[in-house]
Amino acid sequence: MIEISAEAWAVMVEHARSYYPNECCGILIGNETSGKREASVAIACRNAYEGVQKDRFLIDPKDQIAAERKSRELGLGVLGFFHSHPDEAAYFSETDLKNHWPFYSNVVMSVRSGEVRDAKCFRVDVDQTASEEEELLWPKS
Amino acid sequence: MAKILIPTPLRQFTGGADSVEAVGATVGEVLGALTTAHPDLKKNLYNDEGKLRSFVNIYVNDEDIRYLSKEATEVAAADTVSIIPSIAGGR
Repeated sequence: MIEISAEAWAVMVEHARSYYPNECCGILIGNETSGKREASVAIACRNAYEGVQKDRFLIDPKDQIAAERKSRELGLGVLGFFHSHPDEAAYFSETDLKNHWPFYSNVVMSVRSGEVRDAKCFRVDVDQTASEEEELLWPKS
Repeated sequence: MAKILIPTPLRQFTGGADSVEAVGATVGEVLGALTTAHPDLKKNLYNDEGKLRSFVNIYVNDEDIRYLSKEATEVAAADTVSIIPSIAGGR
């Protein structure tokens, strides 16, 4: 289970809006205690995919290095990543499955007409052959 | 000894350590020392042919080794080696 803080969620929503109708992406930082993850910080990243960004994204490794540094400074860790699906449901696609690592929480936001309508979270198994939905809590108001 | 930053998913193979110091003059040697000390990491970093997996990015400080000398890239004791997962996707 992962819970997104109000501050982190605000960053994610604004990033998804600003990138619409393209896919946005970013990094989630926080901590994990007794199996519960709390993402307190969301880092909005540039979509580094060189092509049509309405259905693809790539996180620049340099943004990941910066996020890793920031998380260590804060005494936290990188918990996962987020991206948006413009005018599509919040699901974990085959492309997502092949390009995400196990362990991480991967939040997918459904954005329709520029507004975030839904979000789901997924984790990838160790062989990257299947994903499982992870309970996701985010501020609804 | 160079410092290797371990990403969260791989810390289960380093006894929970978020960084490991390893001896070596090149990236290949440093990663070799790392996987010798923590053998379970090997299958996560290398494929069956012994090459770095395509979704594993290795950086020395802020530079991608693909644009340097790959695994022959020289590493100094003060350098930091980062293992960065390639994260991408879409609909």
